[in-house]
Amino acid sequence: MNAIDTAIRAAAASITLAGITKSYDADTVVIPPMDVELKAGEFTVVLGPSGCGKSTLLQMIAGLERVSGGRILIGGREVQDLEPKHRGCAMVFQNYALYPHMTVGENMTYSLKVAGMPKAERVERVAAVAKMLGLSGYLHRKPGQLSGGQRQRVAIGRAIVREPGVLLFDEPLSNLDAQLRHDMRVELAELHRRIGATSVFVTHDQVEAMTLADRILILNKGRIEQFDTPKAIYHSPASVFVAKFIGAPPMNILPVTGDGSVLRLSDGQVVAEVSLSGSFQLGIRPEDIAMEGRVGDPAVKASLRFREDLGSHSILAADLADSVVRVATPFGADPADALHLTLIFPKSRLHLFDAATGRAIPGAFRAH
Amino acid sequence: MSSDSSLFSNRWLPLILVAPFMLLVVLFFYVPIFQAFYWSFFLERPFGGGSEFIGFDNFSRVLADPEFWEAGWRTLVFMVIASSLAVVVPLILAVAADRKIRLSLPARNVLVWPKGVAGASIGVIFAFIFNPFVGILAPLNGMFPGIWAPGLDGTDAFITLIAAHVWGGIPFNFVILLAGLRSIPYTMYQAAAMDGAGPWRRIFDVQLPLIMPQLFLTLVLEFTESVTSAFALIDTITHGGPGGATTLLVYKIYTDGFNGYDLSGASTQTAILMVFVVILTAAQFVFLGRRVNYER
Amino acid sequence: MIENARSINIAASLILIVGIVYIIGPLYLTLSTASQSYEFMLRNGLAWYPGDQLFINIGRIFTETRIPVQMLNSLTVALSIAFFTCILSFLTAYALVYFRIRWAGVVFALILATIMLPLDIRVITTYQVASNVFSPLNAVLDATGLNDLIAAIFGARIEFEWSVLNTHFGLVAPLVAHGTGTFLFRQFFRTLPADLFKAARMDGAGPIRFMVDVLLPLSRTSFAALFVLTFLSGWTQYLWPLVAASTPDMTTAVVGLARLAPDQDGAVPDFPMIMAGAVLVSLIPLAMIAFLQRYLVQGLVLSEK
Repeated sequence: MNAIDTAIRAAAASITLAGITKSYDADTVVIPPMDVELKAGEFTVVLGPSGCGKSTLLQMIAGLERVSGGRILIGGREVQDLEPKHRGCAMVFQNYALYPHMTVGENMTYSLKVAGMPKAERVERVAAVAKMLGLSGYLHRKPGQLSGGQRQRVAIGRAIVREPGVLLFDEPLSNLDAQLRHDMRVELAELHRRIGATSVFVTHDQVEAMTLADRILILNKGRIEQFDTPKAIYHSPASVFVAKFIGAPPMNILPVTGDGSVLRLSDGQVVAEVSLSGSFQLGIRPEDIAMEGRVGDPAVKASLRFREDLGSHSILAADLADSVVRVATPFGADPADALHLTLIFPKSRLHLFDAATGRAIPGAFRAH
Repeated sequence: MSSDSSLFSNRWLPLILVAPFMLLVVLFFYVPIFQAFYWSFFLERPFGGGSEFIGFDNFSRVLADPEFWEAGWRTLVFMVIASSLAVVVPLILAVAADRKIRLSLPARNVLVWPKGVAGASIGVIFAFIFNPFVGILAPLNGMFPGIWAPGLDGTDAFITLIAAHVWGGIPFNFVILLAGLRSIPYTMYQAAAMDGAGPWRRIFDVQLPLIMPQLFLTLVLEFTESVTSAFALIDTITHGGPGGATTLLVYKIYTDGFNGYDLSGASTQTAILMVFVVILTAAQFVFLGRRVNYER
Repeated sequence: MIENARSINIAASLILIVGIVYIIGPLYLTLSTASQSYEFMLRNGLAWYPGDQLFINIGRIFTETRIPVQMLNSLTVALSIAFFTCILSFLTAYALVYFRIRWAGVVFALILATIMLPLDIRVITTYQVASNVFSPLNAVLDATGLNDLIAAIFGARIEFEWSVLNTHFGLVAPLVAHGTGTFLFRQFFRTLPADLFKAARMDGAGPIRFMVDVLLPLSRTSFAALFVLTFLSGWTQYLWPLVAASTPDMTTAVVGLARLAPDQDGAVPDFPMIMAGAVLVSLIPLAMIAFLQRYLVQGLVLSEK
């Protein structure tokens, strides 16, 4: 670790949300009571579709939105009634929100100036941060003279220059083009390793979530669908919503009925042998569907609708029992009969969800 | 802002910030308005001679006065003619100046100049230019004696007033309408051209419909403006004459109040005029405003 | 685009020429007449070409009329109106946009209403208020019976009296009480990204700091636009200075100019000198338009959004 790394290093603080709620009036509840514990130094990505309340959640932690109920603890200290400046959080905004009339240097040190830090110390601090972010040559420019990526770095710089215990990100990469977004993602991951602040990162981009997060918090209509590591979220989704939200293309979901010995699709084909009865939703990821026969698993017939060749692999879309299933196959591995496919759903890769609630039924396919 | 709860929540500071301005507004706007209505129910004697409640007597006196009705009618006529011209003339100029032609830039510059010339100044100037003996139309009078006599003929005096009013109204309306035209995306013209509409056609099918919000706004403001700005012109060009032919309500209120010392009568007419203006503005919003809001 | 726009461009050019002549014509005739002698005008009427008497006529304005003093009044009044409108409108709009206050909507509506009923309409009663700005207070004292109480205790009623007529303050204040500036600043503040405000809060800025460090520097062009707009409107006011200033030394140049013109038709007035006055009176605002046109146009456009 070199000198700069030690210069900017925060004392990470844990965040506890104890039953916090947000509602604008009796009818519009944005966030029903929620309990979450974010560990100190952890990188949490809050993921969800637009309108799920993820930005509201972030702003409540920041102190930009009032909580309607419940408590927020940062580093064990109750903060829900404090002004933003007393919470020890810094934030990176979606549109950067840089002050257009201040130079890059002034933008980054404004919070320190407000806090009354002596000028010499400010200069030292901003120099360290600028060096870290590759902005040293730009300190005297105005934000208007910078590229999108540079502005993004300034926005990050102004957040970390305060050495906050908590760093909040409000969809900070959504304005960048694809290549820059990838680069910044890598930089952010690296930055987090070096600074170590507890980070909360709001996004609707699952790739950002999967690559950056220690844990992902998936929100749907203000409720937590699942809060777990990326790996667990991908391989054991807790609900149909999570299963469909993560993965590209998303998990196939098919309605099935069990008669106590087998699960049948709506057209009567048997997809799995399991001693359950009732209505369910069956989930399987496109890459988990096999095309060649393997002993033990039942095979179903489907007809090909169209295919997309993506170079590394192909996606086949096939009609199966009133639904369309997507199958990922190695590129060039063409099925013998171009129109009629035989699909095998390996039992170990199946996910079963309650038809009514959409919640996962864990252990449904374990050997009995 | 999406939600209020992140705003500053100080209790006294906003009050202190708003107080000085609101004090002026209350004192010099709301109190006079209140007083106009209040006095219209009293017989108010000038020079602090006391007052006496007389109910609707002032109103019946004013409404029974044929001069009031004539002045009201003239106000209406002036308002309709002058304000339509004061919108249509700048509109034509704005459509012309919106084209990429050599004269466009100098025109955009020159057409805002009247903003710097007071209504009274232009009144003095127009009184001279349209003077029947030495003015621009004097030679015409030489050929046909008496054809141009704003000092004798009410219509001639009215025309002079309207010409001066339109002159002074050009900058604001021109700038607003041109800004509206310039905010129309270029692709809109390209799309219309692809649909086969030529430049003349596009004026009526693309430009005019898309600047309806600006047209509406200039018209609303121009109505009020024509009721009030006429005073400086009348006082410098015609003095309400000849024979009261250009005595609009604002001018009548002024002469009744400041020359005739009829405070009750002037207040009553003020109250009536204010109600008229408010109703007119509201009516415009109800009948026109609803149709012109385009999401772009 | 490739298309034949010749006919429309010719028409547009002709229209613009007519428009320019309509605007410049009267101004040119003013200037050319102002540079001729009275005798020339009597002989030839309107002067189509400039003469050599301009400075003599302007000199006569300086020696024979009060217009120079009145121009100083105009300058003081217009600058004060512009200055106070800018400051008070900025503060008011700031309070209305950035504070959580329940009465913000009501106050804004009350302010907007001032645009609908200009001073010229309510001049009679505004004059009465200006003749004693404490008259509303006196009325409240009388109406609440407080004055009777005071009379009973102290033996005399109290009547406050302060006339602002014939003062600079009286010429300025009623014209500042106008909502355009508040409206303009409010519109401007609402175009600023909401995140800018949030970022400042995260940076620890309180209300005053945010106003001074962030909002004020960002509002520079809005200030310039509003200043130019209100200066011009202040300079060109007529009816209010006409009634509110009772002596020639207190009134404004525009009123003074109108007073130069004789009331009755009779002998041909000294138009060259009057026109020289018109030139002089319009010089400052026209120069302002020439140099600050960008801000004027911006102000006009902003004030309508």
